[in-house]
Amino acid sequence: MPFSQVILNSIIFGSQLGLIALGITVVFAILRFSNFAHGEFAVVGAYLAFLFSVTLKINFILSSAMAMALTGLIAVVIDRLIYKRIRTEAGLVLLIASMGVSIALRHIVSAIWGADPLSYEGVLTKSYSVLGAYVTGAQLLIFLISAAAMMFFYLLLHKTKLGKAMRALSDNMPLAQARGIHVEGVIKWVWFICASYAALGGILIAWETLLWPELGFLLLLPVFCAVILGGIGNVYGAIIGSLILGFVENLGLYINWSPLLNFFGLFKATSAIQIPEGYKPAITFAALVVVLIFLPTGILKGQKGD
Amino acid sequence: MGFLDLVLYFLIMMGIYGILTLSLNLHYGFSGLVNFGHVGFFAVGAYTSALLTLNGAPFLVGVISGGLAAGIVGFAVALPTSRLSIHYWAITTLGIAEVIRLFALNEEWLTRGSFGLIGIPQPLISVFSVRIYPLFYLGVVLIFLAFIFYAIRCLVNSPFGRVLKAIREEDDLALAMGKPVFHFKVKVMALGAGFAGIAGALYAHYITYISPLDFMPIITFVLWSMVITGGRGSEVGSLVGTVVIIVLYNSTRYLKDLFNISGQTVSSLRMVAIGIIIILVVLLKRGGLVEEKKKTFNI
Repeated sequence: MPFSQVILNSIIFGSQLGLIALGITVVFAILRFSNFAHGEFAVVGAYLAFLFSVTLKINFILSSAMAMALTGLIAVVIDRLIYKRIRTEAGLVLLIASMGVSIALRHIVSAIWGADPLSYEGVLTKSYSVLGAYVTGAQLLIFLISAAAMMFFYLLLHKTKLGKAMRALSDNMPLAQARGIHVEGVIKWVWFICASYAALGGILIAWETLLWPELGFLLLLPVFCAVILGGIGNVYGAIIGSLILGFVENLGLYINWSPLLNFFGLFKATSAIQIPEGYKPAITFAALVVVLIFLPTGILKGQKGD
Repeated sequence: MGFLDLVLYFLIMMGIYGILTLSLNLHYGFSGLVNFGHVGFFAVGAYTSALLTLNGAPFLVGVISGGLAAGIVGFAVALPTSRLSIHYWAITTLGIAEVIRLFALNEEWLTRGSFGLIGIPQPLISVFSVRIYPLFYLGVVLIFLAFIFYAIRCLVNSPFGRVLKAIREEDDLALAMGKPVFHFKVKVMALGAGFAGIAGALYAHYITYISPLDFMPIITFVLWSMVITGGRGSEVGSLVGTVVIIVLYNSTRYLKDLFNISGQTVSSLRMVAIGIIIILVVLLKRGGLVEEKKKTFNI
């Protein structure tokens, strides 16, 4: 595999991850808890898109938009039914509630659609060669869509009244309330937007690869790792963290570790030593541990939970 | 399988899960450590004991080594995370359980990968007849359960346990009182992981076949539902929670025939029920079925 291919894969994976990581970090910034159910929003969104486009034969772009909106609404409903009642409790209580939500959502999906992998129809498989690396049309689109979504989020956060209110809430909720910001209304929008973004991320991942109910759980570790790496609660940190994590995972598999091991004098390695493909999630985990030991607040300054 | 065998099977499983739930309650209920990777310690105990006994070690040596090995892993996990907040705890422990499962899946020279270990020896199998044996094994499991129950009860009522509860309620306060919070967290993590390891060993010797599929992350969350339903910080609650969830879980077995739906759908719906139970307990009865008796001072 040429090195340029590794870089390309890293960027694609990073940009998919970023869409999901964004939501986790924003929810943490405003509601002060790690939403373990966020990966499930990605899966629910992707399955809804499957329902609209494959089962009901609606245009793929329209189905994706509908799936995003519907996932956003589901998140708002879950917030009204569950999280709103325990809004003032410690982060731990919300964390456990989100664990329950995550288990319920994942298995509702597998009860409806079954546990076998599915895929969308009509994926763009025509590939282009860029600097020795192969990129499919789908991958190119994934990158462009993610970049556009990130730009949109930046504009939302800095150029609209809602974005200003969201930032105010993340700084100091009681003060924001005292200044007349309709807190519950803003929180509704936060859930809607974050879950829609996660749905988009899920659709793009499923579009490139496959769709199965465990996807959300498998994404949980890399996504949280990206969020912590960038500084939990920091929007730009989540995006940078996702990209870095994309690189860490792919480079970790690509690098020949034997010179490094020889350098530290652990043992004399003569042949190339590479991390087996099966350990890919372990690379993520190793990155997480390194970050927690050396950089617990993340690359960009994050927020403190309880 | 006859009715009696089925009952014995469930009782043994309740005993093993009882140990797991008690140990998770020690982490989460008594010390406030959000451990989302308890199944990892379960796996370490199971594999350690299975590998040792397959190579000729006696049953008790296997079980105790399983506990020790899991304890050491718990100790190692706690070291980098102990100073961090619950959110990091949650994700790190989730990660370590996955890494342990990946190890079992990939290191085929040791664990035979996805084929799993077969023919794990059962203690004193030749002494008892096939019909009586589960009864004997139930006795073994109950002895371990009673021992661990008693150990945890003594522990949480000791000065050590009071510090744990102080850490759970407000770790800054415990620190201000001069308690080495970091040491306490590492110790209790290692201890609880060790108990989970013992449960793993008992599981391996009962089922006699283990593979990475036995240690999927969902088990951790089933354990969480048991701890929460039973009552956070209550030893009796852990046992009640275990029984309630196992009975609920397995009584849905017969829905398949009643409503003519596939087995896969039933098992998904069962997990949906577990998720909803967790949510309902958090929303409606946070203390669980058996609430912890907290000492209060009346002024």
